[in-house]
Amino acid sequence: MKKRLFLKVVVLLSCCFAPATLLARGTAVVSTEHATVTLLSEQVQAVPDQTLWLALRFELIPHWHIYWRNPGASGSAPVIRWTLPAGWQTGAVQWPVPGRIRVGPLTNYGYEDTVSLLVPVEVPPGPLPAGPQTIIAEAEWLVCRVDCIPETGRLTLELNNAGSGSITATETRELFTAARAQWPAVTTLAGDYHLEGDTLAISVAMPGTLSPAPADVWFAANEWGPVDASGVQRWEQTATAVTLTVPAGDVPPAGNAPIEGLLVVESEHKGTPVRSGYPVQLAAQPLATGNRNPGLLTALVFAFLGGLLLNIMPCVLPVLSIKILGFVREAGANQRRLTNHGLVYASGVLASFTVLATVLLILRAGGASLGWGFQLQSPLLVTLLAYLMLLVGLNLSGIFSVGSRLMNAGQSLTGYSGLLNTFATGVLAVIVASPCTAPFMGAALGFAITRTGWEALTVFLTLGAGFTLPVLLLSLFPAWLKFIPRPGPWLKTFQQVLAFPMFATAAWLLWVLSQQTDARAYAGALAGLVAVAFAAWLYGQWRPGSWRLGLLAAGLVATLALAIGPMVGSDAPAHSRTAAPDETPWSEELVQELSAAGRPVFVNFTAAWCITCKVNEQLALSTDNIRALFEARSVAYLVADWTRRDPAISQQLERYGRSGVPLYLLYSPAAGQPLVLPQLLTEGIVAAAINTL
Amino acid sequence: MRKQFFQMTIIILALYACGSGAAPRIGEPAPDFEGVDTHGEVHRLGDYRGKIVVLEWTNHDCPFVRKHYGAGNMQDQQREAAAQGVVWLSVISSAPGKQGHVSPGEADELSRKRDAQPHAVILDTAGKIGHSYTAKTTPHMFIIDAAGKLVYMGGIDSITSANPDDIPRATQYVRVALQEMAAGKPVSSAVTKPYGCSVKY
Repeated sequence: MKKRLFLKVVVLLSCCFAPATLLARGTAVVSTEHATVTLLSEQVQAVPDQTLWLALRFELIPHWHIYWRNPGASGSAPVIRWTLPAGWQTGAVQWPVPGRIRVGPLTNYGYEDTVSLLVPVEVPPGPLPAGPQTIIAEAEWLVCRVDCIPETGRLTLELNNAGSGSITATETRELFTAARAQWPAVTTLAGDYHLEGDTLAISVAMPGTLSPAPADVWFAANEWGPVDASGVQRWEQTATAVTLTVPAGDVPPAGNAPIEGLLVVESEHKGTPVRSGYPVQLAAQPLATGNRNPGLLTALVFAFLGGLLLNIMPCVLPVLSIKILGFVREAGANQRRLTNHGLVYASGVLASFTVLATVLLILRAGGASLGWGFQLQSPLLVTLLAYLMLLVGLNLSGIFSVGSRLMNAGQSLTGYSGLLNTFATGVLAVIVASPCTAPFMGAALGFAITRTGWEALTVFLTLGAGFTLPVLLLSLFPAWLKFIPRPGPWLKTFQQVLAFPMFATAAWLLWVLSQQTDARAYAGALAGLVAVAFAAWLYGQWRPGSWRLGLLAAGLVATLALAIGPMVGSDAPAHSRTAAPDETPWSEELVQELSAAGRPVFVNFTAAWCITCKVNEQLALSTDNIRALFEARSVAYLVADWTRRDPAISQQLERYGRSGVPLYLLYSPAAGQPLVLPQLLTEGIVAAAINTL
Repeated sequence: MRKQFFQMTIIILALYACGSGAAPRIGEPAPDFEGVDTHGEVHRLGDYRGKIVVLEWTNHDCPFVRKHYGAGNMQDQQREAAAQGVVWLSVISSAPGKQGHVSPGEADELSRKRDAQPHAVILDTAGKIGHSYTAKTTPHMFIIDAAGKLVYMGGIDSITSANPDDIPRATQYVRVALQEMAAGKPVSSAVTKPYGCSVKY
């Protein structure tokens, strides 16, 4: 605090004295309400065939600022128009490292207090004309605190010819030295970026670790467009690089366009804030190699949110609603009992996620080329999940009931069997949720799996934590459920309505199955569906007795035999997905062949059960505009269908750091590496990518 | 029973409805809004389905706004738009006590004095409309087509200065976009750099 005050005093004093002393050495000054602007030359005389450095020095009144080359969300950079002796050429303005200036929700880049903009001037060879050389700078600058004032100034400076004897004043030399100390580093650091949705993931290679440890690191693009200056940025430092996630701006980079900008590192040195900058050239990064994917923390945040979201998926919500309604019935009865149930439910969910992740990791460790969504790649598992959805739906419809009836108030939540029931609900919730994670969260979870075992497990458990949170919270605070009407006859109707999302999920799974198997196997699965329904109905009809469980089991065994028989026979890769006439199945050889023939190639890695893929295909890939564009550029369109297991496709996905679909690659005959398009496509993104060819 | 059933259904539908609402994007439905104008009339974007709507963020004390009103550029474009049947809404998102905040009477007086011809001036004192469009500067322009989709966002023109002398040399993006739309063509510059003072939220 004291230091800042001191600084201000110094600045204020320098405002009063500095211009006066500098003026005596041949400078030009313009004073406005908000700024004192001085035009200085580093050398008193111009020397032919040498670079002459000029500076426009702004001394601003406290709290007011002017802008960097890219002003950020609002504002405007200073503009200088030079009038110079014939043949003299100005170079680019050397912008010092800017600071971030926040105005409400917006962020600008600029300078407070004092800033010098240096400009190199190339003096041509050959003798200079006689007499003093006149330099005129007409400057326009916008100076703002919250409100903004545009100001202008015309500054004229006269330089002596070489040999006329003057030497540069010490103050001037020091001033230029001090100004250069504010510049970004000389060498441009190489980095790369890739666009994921609305976020740019940036990685910049650093020659060594930053010292002292930075307090904050942020990226500013040199021009308006690619980066949203006002958005929140996150950064991480590794041994060799700094990685950042930066919100994309109004014009996100398209195709292979590089981004130029400044990496600003803020740190503290002996209690004084220090700001240093590194010019950065970011190349579009098509290849997502293992270590430059989003950090674990990002993955965890997304997993948690994804888990929360799972609760309202049509396949899960009905199951949970019934549990929550059970809490409503119990609300106020016994808080401790309710809490126990919440905890048991949570452990059921977490245990199931652990099992699921472990199974997948063990299979992968065993060498199987599996990604997330593997549970939907096996026709058998899809069939079983469809049966499960049907059974839950029939249960909700009231065709049969299991164990403690929901209507038996108080029964279901008491005692040991009640707790077991709750644990089972947790397990059931995860099983019915598992087909939903693949279409919506496949890519994110797929990424998690490519990490080490512990990290993958952590991601899955975080997903589970997000998934379990709403029910757990409601068990702790049943009072929050007051808005739900008391159980009554409406509950029965409500439950019956909830059956339909389950039936819809079953129908969807059957559609997926239809893409995976031949007609014979499909017919078997449908017959099995009828048998399941029949078994459920029988079970519901009989009065309670130990033998009815046996009957159910017998029915299910018969069902499975019916369904699985043909399924095993059809497990051959000759699946019957009906490709559109202009779709060519992908193979790596075909890509190489087409590339060698000089044709660009677009590869769509997709799966029938991947909703994201289907949406992209509908909205961005199969529109008339895009089809026409593909045709005009003679882009070959290949489809890699991962609806069923395909090790070649799995390996290709893994090469690009993915363990799930969608993946979109655009091979240009000129470039070696394909361009990786984002997972969420728009017509604009596809068109921009193709236009870079 | 029926009432309770519907109550529950609505709760669930509401659950599904949340989670929408991000920054506006070209080609996607523009954020709907409800704003009150200087005469106390309510304007909703949905009311203008079938018409082209221009949104102009403004703040009469901002030098960049003065540049375009002082030279008559903004008023000319407002008149041209009105002649084409385009609904031009000026939006003031300045918070009370901040620059550009005006009472309905003052806003009308400003329109009269400057001979401005917007369809209406909406007072977005809480900044709700501004935030939903992520309006950053004054002026900041948005064009919404007859189907309610956002087709343009950015600056009023191409030279980002506060100097009125630059207006004749600049490309007037909004004018060009409206002409292109009238000719049935896609907007050639759909996203440009908005420039000016920050919106005083």
